[in-house]
Amino acid sequence: MNKFIFILAEGFKNVWRHKSSAVSSIFSIYLTLIVSGSLLIVSQNTNKLIEYLRDKYKIEVFFKEGVTEKRVTELVEDFKSINGVNSITIISKKDAERIFKSQFGDDILSILGYNPLPISCVINLKKDWPTRIDLKPIISSLRKYREVDEINHQGKLISRIENYYETFLRVMVIIVSITLIIAVFIISNTVRLTVLSKRELIKSLQLIGATKWFVKGPFIIEGLVHGLIATVLSLYTIIGILNFSKYLIYDLTRFDIYYDQLFIFQVLLSLSMLVGFVGANRAISRFLK
Amino acid sequence: MIKIDNVSYSYAKGGGVSNINLTINDGEFVFLIGPTGSGKTTILRLLYMDLFPKAGKITIDKFDSQSIKKRKVPYLRRRVGVIFQNYHLLEDRNLFENIALPLHVLGYDKEEIIELVNESIDEIGLKGKETHYPYELSGGEQQRACIARALIKDPDIILADEPTGNLDPVASFEVIKLMEEISKEGTSILMASHNYNLIKSRGHRIVEMQNGSVRH
Repeated sequence: MNKFIFILAEGFKNVWRHKSSAVSSIFSIYLTLIVSGSLLIVSQNTNKLIEYLRDKYKIEVFFKEGVTEKRVTELVEDFKSINGVNSITIISKKDAERIFKSQFGDDILSILGYNPLPISCVINLKKDWPTRIDLKPIISSLRKYREVDEINHQGKLISRIENYYETFLRVMVIIVSITLIIAVFIISNTVRLTVLSKRELIKSLQLIGATKWFVKGPFIIEGLVHGLIATVLSLYTIIGILNFSKYLIYDLTRFDIYYDQLFIFQVLLSLSMLVGFVGANRAISRFLK
Repeated sequence: MIKIDNVSYSYAKGGGVSNINLTINDGEFVFLIGPTGSGKTTILRLLYMDLFPKAGKITIDKFDSQSIKKRKVPYLRRRVGVIFQNYHLLEDRNLFENIALPLHVLGYDKEEIIELVNESIDEIGLKGKETHYPYELSGGEQQRACIARALIKDPDIILADEPTGNLDPVASFEVIKLMEEISKEGTSILMASHNYNLIKSRGHRIVEMQNGSVRH
């Protein structure tokens, strides 16, 4: 316990002792977090947009003439078990007649003398898929039923939107990864400079019997404190930029930027702790080899 | 007990020691003398396992250079106090903090550290200079602080590498006397020096090094 308190206290004192290198380290983590945080918000909002679009995805299934409403109800229960299906609405012959009248203004019964419109159902898809929605397996599952006559869907449009979304997710992962790697290198180099200037301390600690973790500890705590400071600074910067952008964008487009402050803080804090720890550990480990 | 058994070590750029055999008993004070480059420092580095022999074996109590794992080296060093010619005190810490450092490594609590460090500062005659930084102390005072830092953890062995090298004759004599007092309390001491005049009349065993070998 005494050792832990000493390591912790040394780490905090080091932040003050190495003020100039602390500034560059905090600044590089800060920039990384700004980029990552902004991408996170873009991603959350893109996700919101994709969920909105996915909400509009519909598959219309028309049943063959002669299939009873009772059978359709049974089939719909089966359809619900298909992966990706959220809810299903049955459109009876009467419903179809009403829809026809509301869309075309004419009563089909008075024109033809009978109702030729088939029983159908509208399938709504799940919107919270982690990756792209692929309609093909759903369509082929539906086609297996001999009662199904025709299936209408916006396959090409959905596929295009999903392709864009998938590409966007990939690019995001690449950008965030590159940013994090760069940050780890910058922090690692900053800490290495500090470590070089503290060779005497490290040598002395090693000679008096300090274990590897006792030597490393204060440097890692220092890296984590840098991360914490950078997190707070970047969170306030991002929120400031967001509030300003929200005001501008909402005025122009009525689009309200969505963000979860606590979630952003948690992600930024985790990233900064990760970057601070990996960067400091990398630098000091090389020196202790 | 320290046992150096047929030990050889060579640096990539030349130099080192070859076929060294030496035994130091508990509480014994041994001088290691020889000109610069004769291998004195290499022997000391091998003893605190900063270097590992290329041949032969070093045994210090239950630790031996052939079987010790790297992560166990700190535990050996906790039983060995090392003193250097250049003191190796930390410039950004005052006298008290410098001497207290080994106790932090060993996990002592605050009250114990205050008591032991103050006692130690008193013993080396630097009472009142607790808050002085190394650059505010004379060479002799810095070396005494270095000895106090090595002693505070109550080591079984003291390895001193030219501890009087930067001191005037009076300060050098004081350091030797201080080390002799420590030795009387049962601590084994191996002290490297190239100043034969300083050590010749002290009555301790003298091991002479030349060109990386012990001269018989």
